[in-house]
Amino acid sequence: MKRLPAVTVLPAVVLAVVLAACAPVPSGAPAIGGGSAVPPRPAGVEELTAPPSGATVAPASCDPTASLRPTGPLPTPGQMPGGSTMARIQAHGRLVVGVDQNTYLMGFRNPFSGELEGFDVDMAREVARAIFGDPGAIQFKVLTSDERMPALEERRVDIVVRTMTVNCERWQRVNFSTVYYHAGQRVLVPSNSEVTGIESLGGKRVCATKGSSSLANVAAAPSKPVAVSVPNWTDCLVMLQQGQVDAISTDDTILAGFAAQDPYTKVVGPQFTAEPYGMAFHKADEDFVRFVNALLERLRADGTWASIHRRWLGAPPAPPVAVYRD
Amino acid sequence: MLVEAQRNRGALRRVTGLARSTPGRLSLLALLLIVVSLLVGALTAGAVQRRSDALEALADRSEPLAFAAQEVYRAMADADATASSAFLSGGVESAVLRQRYEADVAKAAAALSAATSEITRSPELTESLSTLSGQLPVYTGLVETARAHNRQGNPVGAAYLREASTLMREQMLPAAQGLYEVETGDVVRDLEDAGSLPWLEFLLGALALAVLVFAQRYLTRKTNRVFNPGLLVATALTAISLLWVLTASLVVVYNASASKNEASLVDTLARARIATLTARGDETLTLVARGSGAAYEKRYAEVDKTLDDLLTRARATTGTPPLIEAVDHHAQWQEAHRKVRAADDAGDYTAAVTLALGRDATGAATAFDELDMDLVDAIGAARAELTDAIGRARAGLGGAVPAVVVLALLAAAASTFGLWQRLKEYR
Repeated sequence: MKRLPAVTVLPAVVLAVVLAACAPVPSGAPAIGGGSAVPPRPAGVEELTAPPSGATVAPASCDPTASLRPTGPLPTPGQMPGGSTMARIQAHGRLVVGVDQNTYLMGFRNPFSGELEGFDVDMAREVARAIFGDPGAIQFKVLTSDERMPALEERRVDIVVRTMTVNCERWQRVNFSTVYYHAGQRVLVPSNSEVTGIESLGGKRVCATKGSSSLANVAAAPSKPVAVSVPNWTDCLVMLQQGQVDAISTDDTILAGFAAQDPYTKVVGPQFTAEPYGMAFHKADEDFVRFVNALLERLRADGTWASIHRRWLGAPPAPPVAVYRD
Repeated sequence: MLVEAQRNRGALRRVTGLARSTPGRLSLLALLLIVVSLLVGALTAGAVQRRSDALEALADRSEPLAFAAQEVYRAMADADATASSAFLSGGVESAVLRQRYEADVAKAAAALSAATSEITRSPELTESLSTLSGQLPVYTGLVETARAHNRQGNPVGAAYLREASTLMREQMLPAAQGLYEVETGDVVRDLEDAGSLPWLEFLLGALALAVLVFAQRYLTRKTNRVFNPGLLVATALTAISLLWVLTASLVVVYNASASKNEASLVDTLARARIATLTARGDETLTLVARGSGAAYEKRYAEVDKTLDDLLTRARATTGTPPLIEAVDHHAQWQEAHRKVRAADDAGDYTAAVTLALGRDATGAATAFDELDMDLVDAIGAARAELTDAIGRARAGLGGAVPAVVVLALLAAAASTFGLWQRLKEYR
């Protein structure tokens, strides 16, 4: 083999080494992440895949609006009959009421004063007035829809006045007063939406609160909407405004509160359910139920009910008629 | 091939031939001493440089970034607690609370951009950092929407605030926590790098000295002269170099161990401050939830327990005045909190809100503010101690690398000189 002179070999070797070293070196810096926006959501949002438990069909024999008949005239405030539930409450010094602070016009927190106000809150104050002679002898406990019945059963509250629909299934766990308000479920959508009612919401995302009868009604609707549950009613409005749900479906009273807060929404369709509201009590407190029913009789008769309705919900219709089961 | 092998064999023969004659051996010894001096010098200089680099990373990056990460967490937690307070106070929020919230957001953004500069060194931070910088504008947007609704008297404002708070608590604060943990881990790692015992330096120096001693004993045997001035000088220079490096390294080790205590105190205090803010947020949210805030109150109790432990631990380490006051103010706050809960549980909500937000001397707000200020002072003091200790450690290493290099060169030169004198006798 003929040896090449070093003069020719050396530059070739150097060139080869330099070229090999010239292979591109990748940058170690990471790529820019975070390209996809994750929209914020209210706490505790769930998308329902199955109807909520408790959406069972009520026994046909039950008339949920029928309550216990008052035993006589109301006792004088501050002088509750001995041994009664009212006497126990009187001894405690205040009425503990489960209310809402998120339902505009029914039970809500006034952002300026920080006080709870609304139709339900005023009704609760009337109960306190009847026991103590003082509408201020009251302690509010804010409850979500889901917490209403457990709060009564665990005696964390004496009474629940919180847009609560009376139905036979709930009657099995708590007692209700006579109906103090007749609501009905409707649908709220953005004002540019083409939805005309619950029947045109098939496959669309519809919001309601966990544990409410509205949620069960949405889940059971024949048009098969996708039910989305949240803890508080205002969370539904947040999700609607952020485009995370297509509609909110619940009682027209609550929807009216939403429409008052957001002019770019409208309430559509007819009432597709009847939602009679009652005040709820512990199953054992039957004397208290009869007492409150007597009070409601008076409020209907003396115009107090009408004036509270006028204050929050506009010109009053005739008050709901009391039905008793004795 | 054949030619090359022959050439190699020729070189080998020359070296072995050299080793057979005394002058040849002396030349080889000189070569060995030069190589050992320079190699040991270079390796020692490298080791000292690594220690110095670790200190530099600590002083210029890890420690300031750990502080930045702590600021990110603190500012975000505080913004959340402040927004809740402003909501609870009713009406249009006070200018004081508004300013505090705005300062928190500004601080969080600034601290975040400082922390982001670290993303190339620690790619594992990418996710936390992009969550934080991506969600901060979303969070402030939600809070402003809540404010706009509050101003119009719409209860939906409270729902926006809840959504903002959920975003903060479920996504942003955990990311900030992760950031803080990584940065604090970097501080500990750099401190350990800087504070490792100088075994390598010691062994290298000992090796160089051993070779020099061996060379001198060999010369004494071969030349009947007890001392060789050149090699003596080389030995002295090597010994000086070793002593210098060992002393400087031990100064660093001592200060690094002190820094470790200070860094752990800073960490404890930072956690205490975060616990303070979280507890305040929970105290406020319990009232905002109005009767259904049992979960917040439960978490308050847990966080307050943690806060108590952290303060006790910090107090066991140091007794600086701000920390003593912090313990007192924490006790005052606990007392005020009991009053708030008593009033709220007794149904006097308005009194509870006044006790929680009021500016009187015994209120929860005052005690919380005082405790927060104490912790700021205590963290400032501990952090100053930490940076001082790091500074002292760096000062100890000052000039060590050039000194090691120069001493190694001089030792090599002195050895060569010493052996050259002996070699001359064979000419």
